[in-house]
Amino acid sequence: MRSKNNGKDFCMFALPGMFCFFAVVIIPFVYGVYLTLTDWNGVSKVKNFIGLKNFGGVMQDGQFWTSLLLTFKYVIFVVLIVNVLAFGIAYLLTRGIKGQNFFRAGFFTPNLIGGIVLGYIWQFVFSRVFVNIGESTGWKLFEVSWLSDPTNAFIALVVVSVWQLSGYMILIYVAGFMGLSEDVMEAASIDGASGFVKLKNIIMPLMMSSITICLFLTLSRAFMVYDVNLSLTAGAPYGTTEMAAMHVYEKAFTSRQFGVGQAEALILFIIVAVISGLQVYLTKKQEVEA
Amino acid sequence: MRKKLVTKAVPPVLAAVLLTTMLTGCRFGFASDPDDPNEEEKEVPIDTSVDTFEYDSSLSGTNITLLNSKAEIQVALEKMGAEYEKKSGVHVEVMPVTDGDSPYTKVVSLYNSGTPPTASILDTTDVIALAEEKAADLTEEPWVEEAEGYITEVNGKVYSFPLCIEGRGIIYNKAVIEEMLGESFDADSVTTQADFLKLLDRLVDAGMEKPVSMAKEDWSLGAHQLQYIYETYEGTSEGAQEVIEKIKAGKLDLASYDRLSEFLDTFDILKKYNVAKGDPLGADYDEMAIDLADGKTAFWFNGNWAWPNISEAGAEEEDEYGFLPYFLNDDEDDFVNQQIQASPSKQVMLDGQIATEKEQKAAKEFLNWIVFSEIGQQMLVKTCNIIPPFQNNPYEPSDPLSADIYQKVHEGKAFNASAIVPNDHWAVLGAAMQKYLVDRSDREELTESIQEYWDEQE
Repeated sequence: MRSKNNGKDFCMFALPGMFCFFAVVIIPFVYGVYLTLTDWNGVSKVKNFIGLKNFGGVMQDGQFWTSLLLTFKYVIFVVLIVNVLAFGIAYLLTRGIKGQNFFRAGFFTPNLIGGIVLGYIWQFVFSRVFVNIGESTGWKLFEVSWLSDPTNAFIALVVVSVWQLSGYMILIYVAGFMGLSEDVMEAASIDGASGFVKLKNIIMPLMMSSITICLFLTLSRAFMVYDVNLSLTAGAPYGTTEMAAMHVYEKAFTSRQFGVGQAEALILFIIVAVISGLQVYLTKKQEVEA
Repeated sequence: MRKKLVTKAVPPVLAAVLLTTMLTGCRFGFASDPDDPNEEEKEVPIDTSVDTFEYDSSLSGTNITLLNSKAEIQVALEKMGAEYEKKSGVHVEVMPVTDGDSPYTKVVSLYNSGTPPTASILDTTDVIALAEEKAADLTEEPWVEEAEGYITEVNGKVYSFPLCIEGRGIIYNKAVIEEMLGESFDADSVTTQADFLKLLDRLVDAGMEKPVSMAKEDWSLGAHQLQYIYETYEGTSEGAQEVIEKIKAGKLDLASYDRLSEFLDTFDILKKYNVAKGDPLGADYDEMAIDLADGKTAFWFNGNWAWPNISEAGAEEEDEYGFLPYFLNDDEDDFVNQQIQASPSKQVMLDGQIATEKEQKAAKEFLNWIVFSEIGQQMLVKTCNIIPPFQNNPYEPSDPLSADIYQKVHEGKAFNASAIVPNDHWAVLGAAMQKYLVDRSDREELTESIQEYWDEQE
């Protein structure tokens, strides 16, 4: 039953979008892959084909693997904390407590502040406000800036990311909770399910579609973190909090090794694509319909 | 009903809170606001009555662009461009490199999009990277003679115009030292590392707990501090290049290189008397300027570019600030104990690839105008507050730090050496220096990091 003017419709509605998508995503991506095979330094007119040499360079770049490992650590913490926290808060905010709309808006606000600004605000909080509190109260915890110790700086990064991302996820989970059918809940209660059992056997399976989205969003965002990383720690102290995306940028633009940087970006892309693809596949399988 | 009341009450309350914070100008702990509209903009008058510069009238109507990577002179450059346009008819558009963007990245992306600026203000390293591929040859320009000693050559050709001299060392606040010690202070009387150490101890005895500020930033540690080990090799840029080549080739053993161990001795002294000793990596740059101006500290390792910060922290142009050399040892005759480092830092490169001949000519005329016209000379020094690298420029900068460097350059108390290092030197070795600063590594590990860094360079 396809109409005849399908082609015209396609041109009218899909072509502009397709064009933009190709111009800013596909073509640069393919070009980027091509650049990993050349020795281009970003300036010269000639690009010599050098095969897989840049990938050899990636293997030798120990710092990249260190930062990748750190990124994995960061992703695990952020994804777990954000989702557990957001799920819990969303659960509370859909039970009809007083002022829940106000709270929903409040939790969402950090997400409206851009990562760079957020990083600078928190940098001030960690290195000035907390230190001042530490000075006046004598609390060991705040004695020195969190950002000058590798472990604490990492914790600071996780805290800020969680603070930023949770609001968005809360919103999605809230929508999920609101979509839960009252009938099913009531039926479960009548059947004697309560508390944890209800959560595990009824709510969780029904919330799986929200969980899929939230996990995907947090995973990809956490893997690609750059803005908060840059403005909060900029890799400090002494390069110990440099995440993969930031390392890629530094490699390409500060060390001016475009090819190696581009190859590292490609590797990072493949890792993120595989992991988030796998996650979507696995969680989608868990989804049920009421 | 209650719920409605709450939702009705919240917005006005929020609005009231926001309004009061806005009206009271509630700020958190910043000493001064750089954008304070009440601050009086001090305008240095420029005498435009005399101008013997010969303008090429055929260039009138040409448009040129100037990429500016020196944010603090953006407004000054615009004024300069406007003045030049009045005289020559050539329009100069000054494009800023936004804060946080690297000038090199910016210029490269402009080249890749086919719209490079006619002229760009870049760091020397960037000029060397781009010169032969992109830049116009300036070897035959008249100003080259006036900038003797400050010209950067790439394979025997000049591709860049030295815009300013910048210097660095240990900045002192004279009034504070005199007040603490109760006697007059002559910076020339401090001639060795031991003298400096004695001075620090006297200040401590007088009640100044930690008299030194040192920045934790990787550019300060990795470039401004560590690069002394190359630049003091013999006090010239060639010498710096030579020692770098030796390190790269493995012909110089860093572990037994005296300039490195001497440098670390001095670094250790600064470290010991660092006001932020408890948390060196938590040190705040703006606070250092405030500490120096307020007299909490007496010294700050930095360069003349720190003046806007110090002035913002409350210092006046009449106050006496100056530089002590970065003392490396106790030999009074060693030049490093007598001279501070000062060399051209920002360079103007002209595009020789895409710019039309007329545009190139206009850009060249603009550079000559800066050097030879009475107006350009004045504006370079007074409006941009720059230390001019040109012998024929009779004007002196007015802020105490630049004035001190100007004096030292003219009295032969400055050495002109700048090491040309790879672009990530400050970032990679800055991190290594940070580690050393907080005692998470020792000399041996730091030395190894430096050697490793150079081994990786091709």
